[in-house]
Amino acid sequence: MRTINRTDFLSGLVVAALGAAGLVEALRMPRFEARGADPFTVPGLTPGLLSAVLCVLGIVLLLRGMSGRNLTEGAQPSITQWTRASAIRTLFTIVMVLVYGTLLFGRMPFFYATALFVFVFTVGAELIDTERRLPAWKLLIGGCLLAGGAAYAIDFVFTDLFLVRLPG
Amino acid sequence: MAMDGLNHFLGAIAEIGFSAQIIVVFWATLLGITVGMIPGLTATLGVALVTTLTFTMEQNTAILVLICVYIGAIYGGGRTAILLNIPGTPANAASALEGFPLARKGRAGEAMAVATTGSFLGSVVGMVGLALVAPWLAEFALDFTSFEFFWLAVFGIVLCGQLTAMDDALKGWIAGFFGLLVAMVGQESIHAYARFSYGIRDLEGGFGLLPVLVGAFGCTEVFIVMRQEATRAVAGKVTGVFRSALSSFSHARTWLRSGFIGTFMGVVPGVGEDMGAWVSYAAAKRASKRKEEYGQGSTEGLLAAETGNNAAVPGALIPVLTLAIPGSAPAAVLLAAMIIHGLRPGPLIMITQADFFYSVVAMVFWASCAMLILGLLLTRPLLLILKVRREWLMGIIFVLCTVGAFAIAGRIFDVWVMIGFGLIGFLMREAGFPVAPMILGVVLGPILDNNLRRSLALTQGDPIPFVTRPISALIATLVFLIIIFSLPPVRRRLATLRTRFAGGER
Repeated sequence: MRTINRTDFLSGLVVAALGAAGLVEALRMPRFEARGADPFTVPGLTPGLLSAVLCVLGIVLLLRGMSGRNLTEGAQPSITQWTRASAIRTLFTIVMVLVYGTLLFGRMPFFYATALFVFVFTVGAELIDTERRLPAWKLLIGGCLLAGGAAYAIDFVFTDLFLVRLPG
Repeated sequence: MAMDGLNHFLGAIAEIGFSAQIIVVFWATLLGITVGMIPGLTATLGVALVTTLTFTMEQNTAILVLICVYIGAIYGGGRTAILLNIPGTPANAASALEGFPLARKGRAGEAMAVATTGSFLGSVVGMVGLALVAPWLAEFALDFTSFEFFWLAVFGIVLCGQLTAMDDALKGWIAGFFGLLVAMVGQESIHAYARFSYGIRDLEGGFGLLPVLVGAFGCTEVFIVMRQEATRAVAGKVTGVFRSALSSFSHARTWLRSGFIGTFMGVVPGVGEDMGAWVSYAAAKRASKRKEEYGQGSTEGLLAAETGNNAAVPGALIPVLTLAIPGSAPAAVLLAAMIIHGLRPGPLIMITQADFFYSVVAMVFWASCAMLILGLLLTRPLLLILKVRREWLMGIIFVLCTVGAFAIAGRIFDVWVMIGFGLIGFLMREAGFPVAPMILGVVLGPILDNNLRRSLALTQGDPIPFVTRPISALIATLVFLIIIFSLPPVRRRLATLRTRFAGGER
């Protein structure tokens, strides 16, 4: 009995929905008839065509997913294959990245934001690693040195050497 | 004409070789090798991050730095493939198949030497291809009008989607068309209407190419590296480096073939080094008299893969310089960097900036020489890079991605774009979608949009010239054939026919 290929089915659904939404939005774009614009230069033309193609491709993927046809071994997506450790590491990374990018960067002086992020990321990633051999005190001291050093070096290189203005 | 070109080239070689720029060549190549060696840091990310550092540099020095980093990174990834069995950059995946078994047999030094000479020879063959093909292509492209440029954009997406997605062209095409749609966000050039912007000011400017690139290749890599299990280098003896390096030159047939294939794969829009390596490796395996060694540690296979990926670097520069269309993902960053630095790649390059073109060829030459020298002399010290733990590195890499995305325009919005595309890239890769076609789509989107609407306005909506103009018709036919031959029923039928013929031969 064939089972649904869930990755393809869900991906196809998202792509088809995106294409359909893009198409609707493209059709709603102005045509500038009052300005006497050439109908073949209207802003919605290309996005409309691209969205339509994307929608069709999404439907094909969705149908393929429903048919349950399996791909070759090498092309098997990894999204369904998680170990507990791998899931924890990924979740930790995503949360840290979001915290730094949306909450710390730009709201705090660059040096402090970066040092804090690098310290928490490094120490946190080591602490969730089940194969960690480094004792906690070495980890904390190393993390402090790395965080301070990296934040200072990046700040110095970008601000003083390459004249990039960093926030804060 | 050819003599004129040779004179320009020799002049450019001397200009770099006898000036302080030679120091730049060495440090930038070493930086590239280091970036390439660190698992998870791709050549694209390296070139994108270093672009930020080149803002205040003089035009030619900036491009020199970026080309050296690009060539160094593709080469450096081979080390990781050999010693860790994971490719330092995706372009070195084929190298891992042969390099790692060699390292496990205690022949790591030999493997690294072969990879070094292979990369050097590949770059040199690619450089000759660049010097010969680019001027011809630029002249040919002078006849291109909006019809041809439209088809070229479609061709790039369809072919890149088909080649980078391995057995699943559908996902490659979806990634490509998604990239094209992403490029539609923001103000369009004919009526200055802000598409998909909803009154949000930052969206009206569209997504910057560099934040998208750094996100899709850099931030995504941080997620992927942290998601995977940790790796450890095999402790191999590092001996016989110089002897093996010299012996590689004798496999002329392998490196010449791989060099040609690599260069060609580089020229194909968006395909680049990964496919350069795989196709060269497959061709070498087919032609080899010692097929049984493949997969067990074949120096010939390693030579083919490393020659193929480095030959693709100058190959990828050919469409960048002559058509302003990137041949690979790092080349897309390089194209953006050239534009940032006020250079105008495109069909007119040989007329308006011939000196710059030959300077680029000379840059490839010097970067290849630096790679060879550094690669052979620093075999042992460079191994230390592989001992750095990912937990201590990835946080810093993400900070560099953030600063890289921010520094271009000083907008926090670009940091959010970078993270957003990092998450999208991660999900795409996890679900089996290639990221390269999406990036190519973002680059080609404006080209496709402007040329489609311009052509239709010229013909008053008549689509016939799209398929009746000779060059347009040729590219359209190619697009059609790629699609047809990617369809599963057609592929199955072809496979059956091949088996039948093979059976008949026996």
